Amino acid sequence: MFSLGAKKPGVFKIGCVGPITGDQASLGLDQLHALQIAVDEANAKGEIIPGYRLEVVSLDDQHNPSQAVAMAKRLAADPLVLAVVGHVNSSCSLSAAPIYQNARIAQISPSSSNPEISRKGFDTFFRTCATDDIQAPQAAYFAFERLKAKKVFVIDDKTTYGKGIADEFEKEIRRLGASVLGHEGIIQGEKDFTPLLTKIKGLSPDLIFFGGMYPEGALLVRQAKSLGLSSQWLGGDGIYVSAFIDLAKEDAEGVYCTFIGADVSNMESAKRYLEIYTARFGQQRGPYSAYAYDAANIIIDAIRKAAKKDRPAVLAQVRVTKDFSGVVGLTSFDEKGDSSIQLIGVFQVRNQAFEYVGSARE
Amino acid sequence: MNKKALFVFLIFLAFPLFDRNQYHLDVLVNAGIYAILVLGLNVITGYCGLLNLGYAAFFAAGAYTYALLNLNWGWSFWVSLPACAACAGALGLLFGSCALRLRGDYLAVVTLGFGEITRIALNNLDSLTGGPNGLSVKHPVIGFAGKGLDFGINSLPYYYLTLSVIMVVAMITSRLSLSRLGRAWIAIKEDEVAAACMGINTGKLKLFAFCIGCAIAGVAGWLFAGKQGFVSPESFDFVTSVMIAAMLVLGGIGSISGSIAGAVALTVIPEVLQPLQQYRMFLFGAVMIVMMLFRPQGLLGGKRILEELKPETERIRQEEDEVLSEDLRQ
Amino acid sequence: MSHSEIFVQQLINGLTIGMIYALIALGYTMVYGIIQLINFAHGEIFMAGAFLGLTVFGLFSPALKLNSALMLILMFVSAMFVCGLLGGLIERAAYRPLRKSPRLSCLITAIGVSFILQNLMMLIWGPVNKSFPAFFKHSALSLGPLRITFMQGFIIITSLVMMSALHFFVTRTMLGKALRATSEDMTASRLMGIKVNRVISLCFLIGSGLGGAGGVMYGMYYNSISFHDGYLVGIKAFTAAVLGGIGNVPGAMLGGVALGMLEGLGAGYLSSEWKNVFAFLILVGLLLCWPSGILRKLRNE
Repeated sequence: MFSLGAKKPGVFKIGCVGPITGDQASLGLDQLHALQIAVDEANAKGEIIPGYRLEVVSLDDQHNPSQAVAMAKRLAADPLVLAVVGHVNSSCSLSAAPIYQNARIAQISPSSSNPEISRKGFDTFFRTCATDDIQAPQAAYFAFERLKAKKVFVIDDKTTYGKGIADEFEKEIRRLGASVLGHEGIIQGEKDFTPLLTKIKGLSPDLIFFGGMYPEGALLVRQAKSLGLSSQWLGGDGIYVSAFIDLAKEDAEGVYCTFIGADVSNMESAKRYLEIYTARFGQQRGPYSAYAYDAANIIIDAIRKAAKKDRPAVLAQVRVTKDFSGVVGLTSFDEKGDSSIQLIGVFQVRNQAFEYVGSARE
Repeated sequence: MNKKALFVFLIFLAFPLFDRNQYHLDVLVNAGIYAILVLGLNVITGYCGLLNLGYAAFFAAGAYTYALLNLNWGWSFWVSLPACAACAGALGLLFGSCALRLRGDYLAVVTLGFGEITRIALNNLDSLTGGPNGLSVKHPVIGFAGKGLDFGINSLPYYYLTLSVIMVVAMITSRLSLSRLGRAWIAIKEDEVAAACMGINTGKLKLFAFCIGCAIAGVAGWLFAGKQGFVSPESFDFVTSVMIAAMLVLGGIGSISGSIAGAVALTVIPEVLQPLQQYRMFLFGAVMIVMMLFRPQGLLGGKRILEELKPETERIRQEEDEVLSEDLRQ
Repeated sequence: MSHSEIFVQQLINGLTIGMIYALIALGYTMVYGIIQLINFAHGEIFMAGAFLGLTVFGLFSPALKLNSALMLILMFVSAMFVCGLLGGLIERAAYRPLRKSPRLSCLITAIGVSFILQNLMMLIWGPVNKSFPAFFKHSALSLGPLRITFMQGFIIITSLVMMSALHFFVTRTMLGKALRATSEDMTASRLMGIKVNRVISLCFLIGSGLGGAGGVMYGMYYNSISFHDGYLVGIKAFTAAVLGGIGNVPGAMLGGVALGMLEGLGAGYLSSEWKNVFAFLILVGLLLCWPSGILRKLRNE
């Protein structure tokens, strides 16, 4: 009423959905931080669209597909939301995708790696990470050729991601010639795996593959150690989180895992971003934050190119992303929405930190 | 339907003319679905005095029935309604015929057990139910020869659909409570032994109440699945069952208007107090305790319910009844 | 490992968790025995014990060494003390006013208390899983391929000691006798001059204290605690109480161990993803077919 002179800038928003509370909170917060850095940088550089500022809308899906749907609806109902970075978990990205599809909102996930999501014909879904139909077979290759595993046991957490990657791994390692002694599911949130681990101990596999997330992964390796189970552990990107080591402590030593990307901490392109992240948020940066940062910047770039507050226009720009120069390299989206960068890195826990061992296919 | 109820109905009917905000309508639709659930639980707990802590399982039955029929055999939303109600009712029949010989606490705990078993089964049988990842289903479509209205994610059509279902369920349960059947239920709740002496087949009638309540939950599940477009086991856990019970307690056990009021209150208030989202459980817990301590008949419950829930000075009489009725059990 | 060795190992694991169930089950059984209430909030009190133990550890850990007996004693004593008080407080505030009310009201109130406690724990300690310190590392006694870790041994022995103490208290002391009398017949006890209200409070105090101890052990064993763990463990412990005969103190101990072992065997030999279903099936089966449990309960119902 009393503002004379400069008009207050309008706002448009980028949605950010992931598990902000609960046992996988470190992943959700990681994604959120990356977005906050990207948006603050963009706002500082000047208005993306004249007269408008960017804001982040952060919502919590608690890695629960039902919640994901509810949050997606909330974002869809807010006309200021132009695009979304999310979700973190494959099951959530999948369940929310129809909502975004319907509302013509571009959805870029930095970490949902299950291949099914981009096969269902959602023209609004994209991802900056690699997919499990590449990750799992390469993990199997690594296990068979490099770790010389001839007898394996497979565990999954029954989620879209965990079961997907475990099934692909089993298929490939059988094809390569190893014998699979068993494949069992565990429930997310369960604490006591000693009955299953005792059973596995009796079978003496060379290697145990775990398709699942770090809270359960940490408990599994701890309880295995406690039971005297000495098989080698190999996991997917779900355990490539520093929280895994925090929870499992010394029992994490020697555990291998793959990741749907290469080692960001060694990339030139990522150096600046990592410094900013550590300076601002202190604690160790999570694995997907660089991918979330790139996703956010792809969206910001698309908004700038679209030059208007219009979801379909932004979506169209996101879709034609080609050779986007981000911190993880040059990203392009193919017609399914998958990223052109399909590098799988292998890491091992040494001295309480993840060390890059190499790419899986060496 | 009395004048007050008609008036409230008209208010709700006219509401979207003044407020078209999708989010507000969505919250009211959720409140409406809970209202249907509370109306169903009201039949079991309010009319018949049986506490069902696994009520969410029947909610799930309705939702998953629609999901599976739609995904596997392409059944449309509308055609699935009888199947959803029937499936939930049948599940109620199955559980009820086992559980209803128990009383009070033990019945509550057994129903809790059934509810959890159902939820875990839904979670584990992933080839059938999609497991923890859930199932995506189609929204309702009203169509004739290719052209039609897809409800989609627009809240407005669901609002009116839910309102209609609430009216129908409220009318049915109201009629039931005033009928001979309803009076028999009250008799059973007040004093099962005396009721049996009067020739009432208590076992059968209790089971009937149980099944009707469960079938109503199935209808709520059908609506929920159609609206949400997605079903997964976490929506049907113990906390949900307790929430429904809390709404019933708040509104008034045995009261239809209370059921609806309780559902609306405990759905809308947490949404309105968004910043206090993390206090949701606290709210439900506090409501239950405060109600039981200070106003057991709930906000809108009648005098009769107050009489029933007042402290009994002769616990021995109740125990004697239980022992006696063991012998008279049908 | 041979088949019999695997079997024995499963039993050892089951025995350990069974002891924790037993400690919690005692709380349920004592309360039910005396006022016929299923104290739904007991699972949350157990969980509160775990969080309290963690907090005490956090307060003293720079000063005291990990593994030191003093630290352990401190954690247990403080958790048991605070949980006992908490249980007594709940009884006084929420259950006593409703003592003459129908069961429905009390049950609903108990559920309400449990929800409030859970939410309080979430607010105080946060919604994220908290890491509980590991005592004894993985040091274990190895008998061939069988392993029993020091942690497991500690839990088993400490639980046995506590349960023996309780048994002694209930059977050999005057106060224990008052407790048993009140469980048998409250009116007659009152007529005999027993201060029934005090006895009931004592019952809650002891039961909750034991639950708190169970919580600390749970935290030490699994190294990861969360505000919503109490519900499931609570239900299982209640199942154990019913299994052993609700209202029967030795029964609760027996039931706990039995349930722990059955669960472990079921998960190990049938399927681990259905582990919780076994517990619920046992619960439902017991209540429907065999509500009196293994040992007869103390009073005839």
